[in-house]
Amino acid sequence: MKLQVAINGIEETIEILAPAPDCRFRLGQDAERGAEVQVPEPGVYSVLMGGRSYDARVEEHPNRLVIALQGYRFEVAVRDPRRLSHGDARRGRQAIESIASPMPGRVVRVLVAPGDAVETGQGLVVVEAMKMQNEMKSPRAGRVLSVAAREGATVTAGEVLATVE
Amino acid sequence: MFRKILIANRGEIAVRIMRSLREMGIRSVAVFSDVDRSSLHVRMADEAEHVGPSPSAESYLRIDRILDAARKHGAEAIHPGYGFLSENAEFAAACEDAGIVFIGPSAQSIRAMGSKTAARRTAIAAGAPVVPGTDQAATLEDVRGFARSHGFPVLLKAVAGGGGKGMRRVDTESELESAYRNASSEAERAFRDPAIYVEKLVENPRHIEIQVIGDRHGNMVHLGERECSIQRRHQKVMEECPSPLVVLHPEMRQAMGEAAIRAAAAAGYYNAGTVEFLVDRERRFYFLEMNTRLQVEHPVTELVTGLDVVKMQIEIAAGARLHLRQEQIEWRGAAIECRIYAEDPYNDFLPFPGKITRLERPLGPGVRIDGCMYAGWTVPMEYDPLLAKLAVWAVRREEATDRMIRALGEYDVGGIRTNIGFFRQILEDTGFRAGQLHTGFIEEFFRRHRPPLPGRDLAEVAALAAALHTLGRNGGGGDSHAAPGPDPWLAAGRSGLLR
Repeated sequence: MKLQVAINGIEETIEILAPAPDCRFRLGQDAERGAEVQVPEPGVYSVLMGGRSYDARVEEHPNRLVIALQGYRFEVAVRDPRRLSHGDARRGRQAIESIASPMPGRVVRVLVAPGDAVETGQGLVVVEAMKMQNEMKSPRAGRVLSVAAREGATVTAGEVLATVE
Repeated sequence: MFRKILIANRGEIAVRIMRSLREMGIRSVAVFSDVDRSSLHVRMADEAEHVGPSPSAESYLRIDRILDAARKHGAEAIHPGYGFLSENAEFAAACEDAGIVFIGPSAQSIRAMGSKTAARRTAIAAGAPVVPGTDQAATLEDVRGFARSHGFPVLLKAVAGGGGKGMRRVDTESELESAYRNASSEAERAFRDPAIYVEKLVENPRHIEIQVIGDRHGNMVHLGERECSIQRRHQKVMEECPSPLVVLHPEMRQAMGEAAIRAAAAAGYYNAGTVEFLVDRERRFYFLEMNTRLQVEHPVTELVTGLDVVKMQIEIAAGARLHLRQEQIEWRGAAIECRIYAEDPYNDFLPFPGKITRLERPLGPGVRIDGCMYAGWTVPMEYDPLLAKLAVWAVRREEATDRMIRALGEYDVGGIRTNIGFFRQILEDTGFRAGQLHTGFIEEFFRRHRPPLPGRDLAEVAALAAALHTLGRNGGGGDSHAAPGPDPWLAAGRSGLLR
């Protein structure tokens, strides 16, 4: 099984040659490695490799995994290269921009309606959590296509609040 | 002594107070809002009373409902913790009128120290040094005149202020008028009081505060200082005792301690309080303000003095005399505290409430946690993001610093985002280790800091864990994670910063 991974923005391939617990794998051009892997709790990977013990904690974020390991933080995006030919990966760059909530919270104000013309940096929606208000701004000049946010509604991190074209 | 005390607070401080009550054999009454029904302070309490909907204005800030709860449960005293009603003179007076003891100073003392300008006048009258400034609300013309005679830069502050709201640094006369107008309208919005006064700006000061505690019979002592210079957006994030500066210049503790006691005594103060000072590069100190309540960072004082400040507060409120004279108070070793917040250090420190799925706490030598987390608890979005305070003690500051790094490494909170990873590189920084602290430290640290790079073996393990996690979740299918767009954090090249 070969997967494409982006580790802190750097593209690599990882090939899983034998599954856990007695795992064999190869990262990029590195030599093949053996690692004994246990999952003591969901999201926690205890790895013994080359006589060393590693305790990796995996957190799921929108579009990526965040791995905490020995005090370092790795952002890793994983995808299957067999599916890349459809060009899905580039879809995010098209003319419609989605404005997502960067944090879980409550929508306290909706400042625009579909059809409104907006400037770059203009406030669209205000989300509040833990006594802090955060105004989501338009990343571009254009027209508001849709507004999913409703005043008083709770939102999760990554939830789309509005789209601008 | 009291038999039952109501705690008019929530979160980690309610839990902290309950621990002392339990050791003293006093029953605790928790209050809670809708969203806090399953919070730890309710589960730990002996008795509990619902006081309203989730917004604090309809629950924890409702004086009538808190007093009703106290009467219903037969509580003889109320501990207000910090925040909420703790510095509300009207609440202290209402407790007194209801025949319930307020565990804190009198309403008059709270008023005397409540407004920044009133506190300045009290301090000046007591002979405590203050930063040159106006002692009353100032008009734009007053401010201009002050700046011309004392020189720029100056600092505009809200009379009713706190938390950095209504505060503006002004470096030149041309900025003055708009800065004054902005500060005033911000103060109006935050405190419903547009009044502004002006002080000479102290460049890169240290923030050092003195813990005082006095009884109702005229005795007062200080429990030494806490250095709280490590701040972000005017909010403290790390505190320590002793101050590394005071360790080098021990005479400062006595001088600041005496000034703090004089200022507090001038306000007729009793119970625990904290006098905050700014310290300039020439080690001159200036009265900043007094917090008329238990302070968030009191554990570092407790670790170094061996005292329980909450117990002392309760004994004093019950009418006891201080059992310690100043010369009996000793400071041993060094303590450091990190404030653990539900916020995302990779996304501009935005709050990040949610459900805690996994929790592992540091243990072992010299570690103390004051917190309110448990696995399965949903951190509410309605309140302050402070989840826990991790404090460590060791004989020397250097060892305490290493111990804190070790303890942070053991701390794992899954499901939400926290600032736990944020502290490590500050603790490893040579400037921090040399004790060269000032309130602009974090800002300056981010400007000069270059994060170390992880070894290749760590990248391999991270990639392996990510691959196995993805395959395990999708039964071997892969690709649940779409290719990421350009990540602003990665673009900023800060990938290793918060290791």
